[in-house]
Amino acid sequence: MPPLARLPLLILGFAALFAGAGAGLARLGWDVPGVAAIAPSLHGPLMICGFFGVVIALERAVAIGRLWAYAGPLLAGLGTVAAVTGATATAPWLFLAGSAVLLAATIDVFCRQRALFNFTLTLGALCWSAGNWLWAGGAVVHDVVPLWLAFLILTIAGERLELSRFLPPSPIATCAFAAILVVIVAGLLGGGSPWGTEVFAGGLVALSVWLGKQDIARRTVRNKGLTRFIAVCLLSGYLWLAVGGAVIVAAGGLAPGSRAYDAALHALALGFVFSMVFGHAPIIFPAVLRVAVPYHPTFYLPLALLHASLAVRLAGDATAQAAWTRAGGLLNAIALAAFIVSTAAAVIRGARRRVPADPA
Amino acid sequence: MPDDDAVREALRQVDDAEAGMNIVDLGLVYGVEVAGDAVHVDLTMTTAACPMADMIVGQARDVIAAILPAGASVDVRLVWDPPWTPDKMTGVARAHFGW
Repeated sequence: MPPLARLPLLILGFAALFAGAGAGLARLGWDVPGVAAIAPSLHGPLMICGFFGVVIALERAVAIGRLWAYAGPLLAGLGTVAAVTGATATAPWLFLAGSAVLLAATIDVFCRQRALFNFTLTLGALCWSAGNWLWAGGAVVHDVVPLWLAFLILTIAGERLELSRFLPPSPIATCAFAAILVVIVAGLLGGGSPWGTEVFAGGLVALSVWLGKQDIARRTVRNKGLTRFIAVCLLSGYLWLAVGGAVIVAAGGLAPGSRAYDAALHALALGFVFSMVFGHAPIIFPAVLRVAVPYHPTFYLPLALLHASLAVRLAGDATAQAAWTRAGGLLNAIALAAFIVSTAAAVIRGARRRVPADPA
Repeated sequence: MPDDDAVREALRQVDDAEAGMNIVDLGLVYGVEVAGDAVHVDLTMTTAACPMADMIVGQARDVIAAILPAGASVDVRLVWDPPWTPDKMTGVARAHFGW
């Protein structure tokens, strides 16, 4: 598929990000206009299925280069359209169909190279499908949230495991990674039991330690420019992965609507996953759309704002200061907006560099 | 026409930004052949899940085209066999990653 034809799919993903972030603000009691205010309960599905789901499925389709794989981001994007236009009963089925295509695309990758990292990616895609299946079948969102989080976290973990092959081989590290996978999956399978979510969260803390130790970012952070920026995003994201997991363990699970629920979910999805997004946007945008996103030191500003705003939000959660949580949430949205502005500005700079000014 | 080594040297301009290292030292260039006025290059990626493959192939084509005389052709192919393994990295890359 030509890069320009991929643009509408990416736009669908970012539409979900706008609507989802707006829905999140509405949940915190902020006045938001239009479509975002209609469905605050769709905040999680829009962010995870509508944004991350579409972006990850698009990235996988670009990687395997098969036309059918683009049905993944398309169907998930249509799920967003259904969700924001009020067809809320149809949306889960469209997200399910999109996730099934991503799963098929990831199995295609696994069949080409049967390695633990590709197995981890497959497991991540399977978690998204499983969560969507349960959701479409009538499960409430907070019951499927661990599966959705596992989709994102295992996808990232698989990619990082793959890149860790640049480091000197360590059979012990590989065994430790496999053991952590077992713990995470056991926690997910025991989701209905009193211990399931805590075991899952314990696995996430262990994964953060593994990533902090085994990721190439430990070395590439000594580089310069974009390579260092990506490494800083990764390493700072791992701290939030640890915090998110630790909050769930300390709270004894994920009680819906609790302050720990807000803190853990946002530490994981915003702190961990969005740090990855911020870091990888300058290489994924060029890969997907064939636009240049030249590095600029101002890339650090949205990242710093993301971390600071999340710290404010979690401080509010920890001390029952609802005003802090609310303000932190607004600042979270501003950090995302700053990231979009920063990326768009870089694309413009890149385009100007490619087309030198007419000397006449 | 440039020789094989000149083509490899040109390919060192293509970086994997995440790794902070060029594709030649990462061992992603499997073969370079200059025959007549045509250059053939076989490239791989570390994984089929890498969405940057097309972009890197395009960049490789661009840097080679820049050192070729007018009328010469460049053919950069993405290959998956044999799969990339860490032992394909050069000493420079290994030193970079602490081997």
